[in-house]
Amino acid sequence: MSNSYRTGSKDLSSWENLARKDLGAVPIDKLTRSTPEGLPIKALYTAADLEHIESLDSLPGLPPYTRGPRATMYTVKPWTIRQYAGFSTAEESNRFYRQNLAAGQMGLSIAFDLATHRGYDSDHPRVTGDVGKAGVAIDSVEDMKILFDQIPLEKMSVSMTMNGAVIPILAAFIVAGEEQGVKPELLSGTIQNDVLKEYMVRNTYIYPPEPSMRIVGDIIEYTAHHMPRFNSISISGYHMQEAGANSAIELAFTLGDGIEYVRAALAKGLKVDEFAPRLSFFFAIGMNFYMEIAKLRAARTLWYKLMKPFEPKDARSSMLRTHCQTSGYSLTEQDPYNNIIRTTIEAMAGVFGGTQSLHTNSFDEAVSLPSNFSARLARNTQLIIQEETDICHVVDPFGGSYFMEKLTDQLMNEAERILQEVEAAGGMVKAIQQGLPKLKIEEAAARKQARVDSGQDVIVGVNKFRTQEESHFEVRDVDNTLVREQQIARLNDIRQKRDKAQLQQSLEALEAGARSNGNLLSLAVDCMRARATVGEVSDALRRVFGEHRAPIQSVSAVYASEYKLKTDFDDAKQAVAAYALEEGRQPRILIAKLGQDGHDRGAKVIATGFADLGFDVDIGPLFQTPEEAVKQAIENDVHAIGVSSQAAGHKTLVPRLIELLKLEGASDVAVVVGGIIPQQDYEFLFHSGAAAVFGPGTPVPKAAVETLEAIKRKRKG
Amino acid sequence: MTIDIKALESSLLAGKRRGLAKALTLVESRRPEHRALAIRLLTSLYPKSGQSHRIGITGSPGVGKSTFIEAFGKFFLEQGHRLAVLAIDPSSPKSHGSILGDKTRMDELAVHPHCFIRPSPSGLSLGGVARRTRECILLCEAAGYDKILIETVGVGQSETLVSDMVDEFMFLQLPNAGDQLQGIKKGILELADMVVVTKADGVFEQAARQAVVDHELALHFMQDDEDRLPVRVMMCSALEKKGLLEIYDLLQSKLMELTQSGRLEKRRSQQREQWFVSELNDQMMDLLLQDRSLKKNVEKLTTQVIQGTLSPTEAAQQVIASLGWNAGKE
Repeated sequence: MSNSYRTGSKDLSSWENLARKDLGAVPIDKLTRSTPEGLPIKALYTAADLEHIESLDSLPGLPPYTRGPRATMYTVKPWTIRQYAGFSTAEESNRFYRQNLAAGQMGLSIAFDLATHRGYDSDHPRVTGDVGKAGVAIDSVEDMKILFDQIPLEKMSVSMTMNGAVIPILAAFIVAGEEQGVKPELLSGTIQNDVLKEYMVRNTYIYPPEPSMRIVGDIIEYTAHHMPRFNSISISGYHMQEAGANSAIELAFTLGDGIEYVRAALAKGLKVDEFAPRLSFFFAIGMNFYMEIAKLRAARTLWYKLMKPFEPKDARSSMLRTHCQTSGYSLTEQDPYNNIIRTTIEAMAGVFGGTQSLHTNSFDEAVSLPSNFSARLARNTQLIIQEETDICHVVDPFGGSYFMEKLTDQLMNEAERILQEVEAAGGMVKAIQQGLPKLKIEEAAARKQARVDSGQDVIVGVNKFRTQEESHFEVRDVDNTLVREQQIARLNDIRQKRDKAQLQQSLEALEAGARSNGNLLSLAVDCMRARATVGEVSDALRRVFGEHRAPIQSVSAVYASEYKLKTDFDDAKQAVAAYALEEGRQPRILIAKLGQDGHDRGAKVIATGFADLGFDVDIGPLFQTPEEAVKQAIENDVHAIGVSSQAAGHKTLVPRLIELLKLEGASDVAVVVGGIIPQQDYEFLFHSGAAAVFGPGTPVPKAAVETLEAIKRKRKG
Repeated sequence: MTIDIKALESSLLAGKRRGLAKALTLVESRRPEHRALAIRLLTSLYPKSGQSHRIGITGSPGVGKSTFIEAFGKFFLEQGHRLAVLAIDPSSPKSHGSILGDKTRMDELAVHPHCFIRPSPSGLSLGGVARRTRECILLCEAAGYDKILIETVGVGQSETLVSDMVDEFMFLQLPNAGDQLQGIKKGILELADMVVVTKADGVFEQAARQAVVDHELALHFMQDDEDRLPVRVMMCSALEKKGLLEIYDLLQSKLMELTQSGRLEKRRSQQREQWFVSELNDQMMDLLLQDRSLKKNVEKLTTQVIQGTLSPTEAAQQVIASLGWNAGKE
């Protein structure tokens, strides 16, 4: 008989008996582990696990799309290798893009600097430390034209990560195309335009949620009518995972955001099939290999279900297509070549999950922007999977796996449960206004940090198998002052040459349109043609919409409850208590986020961790200038300022902060710096007067003890 | 840390931000030798205090205190006043640490050159808060701040404490809290000089109107106090910028009337008396507990009281008896 080895896997007793022998004294239920999502993972799955799974045995290209949005997937055309990049000036970035395209990259993905994200021109006093740092500085259509010089926009698919200043940037892109001779209907690519997640995690918003949702609607409307090849939005879970969300939370909030955008577009009077095929998604792929594959399969299935009530006729309207990026959070500064291996594993999970395009991180991204060398390795990771292996030869290779099908189903159910909570709160916009999703993500982040710091979650080279060997490699460093000077020169030039009357007229029309209900993108295209700057267009809208100010909420006692390595924690707590006794008060620290960098996960984790250890912690507002931080530090009479830097502003902003403290006679305030800081900047920071620098992966208790030491040194000196 | 009190005092009087900040730290310190220095500083500055309006603001978490203070404080600054905001945030009883995030909600005040904001951890004893907050007000006044806002989270007894040290006590209330007026809220209403229903915007505006009526009705049943002005119920929306100016104008006219009618002075003299009584209690206790054997005895008796093997009254009598004084006898 052909199936003579079938033992009937629904009866597990014979396997369990064998397993017990292997386990010895350990009870068999120890083999079931719980994931961060709270899902149980058994050691063995069998046919019995496949019962009651709805989406089982479907076909790729057909509803509910669990197995992929296209019938043939990579067997005919592999995913698009799309590497996210941008830094310094438009000239520099353009040179880098053209090199990469020549070496096998297929699409562009533009990273803008934080000044641009937040709608400030490069000469704005608030952005001194940010210009050209974490992305390319774009002030006007002139910069945009240089960015795409010799890159034919009718052929090249361009993805732009832009959410705050989305109106002037997309308008500048349209005008740059126009002046290259490319009509809007020929432009292809994606604009992120996902503002809802900005209020939860990334914080590069400008306006309050309601006008921001209107902007999203305007862009969907404009692209639906004029740019049929352009994805109007990239609904992103990536930054949620980076900020600490588990896969279920990422999935639920992302699809929840998606539904809000659908509602916003319908409210504009569009028909669902006019825009829904151009909605795209963006997920993170971290180190939980199976879970990430399941996430993409579950995402497609769930999106199909969620779109059904809107009654789309076009199949593409309920077909989830996604871009993926490997996790930046999983990268370590310690033993950094390990990051190449991490990225490879994550890339494979993204591919097995069926992504449409992929960015693989460079190994040096835990400390800086990618160098030419590290960017090549990252790109080759994908090329090797595509060209050297047989991975692309089969559609959805995990389909039918007892385990994978079960996990997909469980994850989808968990995400649906969270989505029901969101709906009960009145939808994502309401939930976000109440701050609920942000707190949920921050709580997950604090738990994760405590698990890593106490060794429950292993990170090789960080909390296990550490090496003394140092890795030397070249790091890309952007001279922020020089870039800023170049940008300012070009801004002055534009302001001099442009037709003032035409400019005035277009900006007034934009402002009037914002007060009524003109399409803002269409009006902004006129402004960009008239050589308005990104800052001027953003200001016109600011006058009507105002700015969003985020209430800063924080979780407490989460870190302490998850931290299992009691000795370190208790030692640090004792050191704090001893200091408090001597000083007559708790040590007090201001956690400051300087410049336009809104990545506040690190700052929040440090704040809650330090408070759990006994510090009085002042949390500074986002986007603080060094002057404002010093005023707050002095009024609150803090012992230390902890600067959290994730976006390379530290070389400009930290020395300025220390200088201002000196001017105020407050040099006894210790300045410590943490975040994404390359090893070679440490000397510079110490030389500028920083008392301690904490790289990624520093356990919170260690940082706390070293901060105390720094305070004591300052008080003595 | 060695402290030069003279230098600190002149820095504070010269209007130096850092001088005031350091002086606040000194009065908040738990070290006995710091206390001695603090008393010296306070004694010297006392004649220069009292020249401000002291306004207490309280309400449950989420009622929008910081947003209200941000909007409200700007009026003072626009009129050329110097504004100090003292905020009290709860400390964790487990770690003794705290998160002091309030300034993040007052972005515009925080950067204003004539505004000084200081969040303070509550520490662990409620009495401690009151003692230090009174002293902090005094320091801010000596430093030249003429409007002082004291913000507390409306939990426990902190309202009572704060109402005992301010000229005008404002109680912030959410629109939907109207139907729960009966129980605990009534106690707070007896302390309030003004009730403000916040977030009266959009769909909540109707509920806010109802809440105003409910509060007015509840106040109607309270006894008149001729030392105080009638309690007013107002509503506002920080979001739609409605009602704030009216509240500011009302506050200004109430303060003027309190001053002119002599009620302000009467209230402050009563507060000074209360302050004296509680200072006397605190200082006597501090002094007595400097005696190590007495402190040990108190700790031992505390354990017995906690365990329930000794009644609190009996324990107190035993302490007093150990001093050789008679307690509870003729």
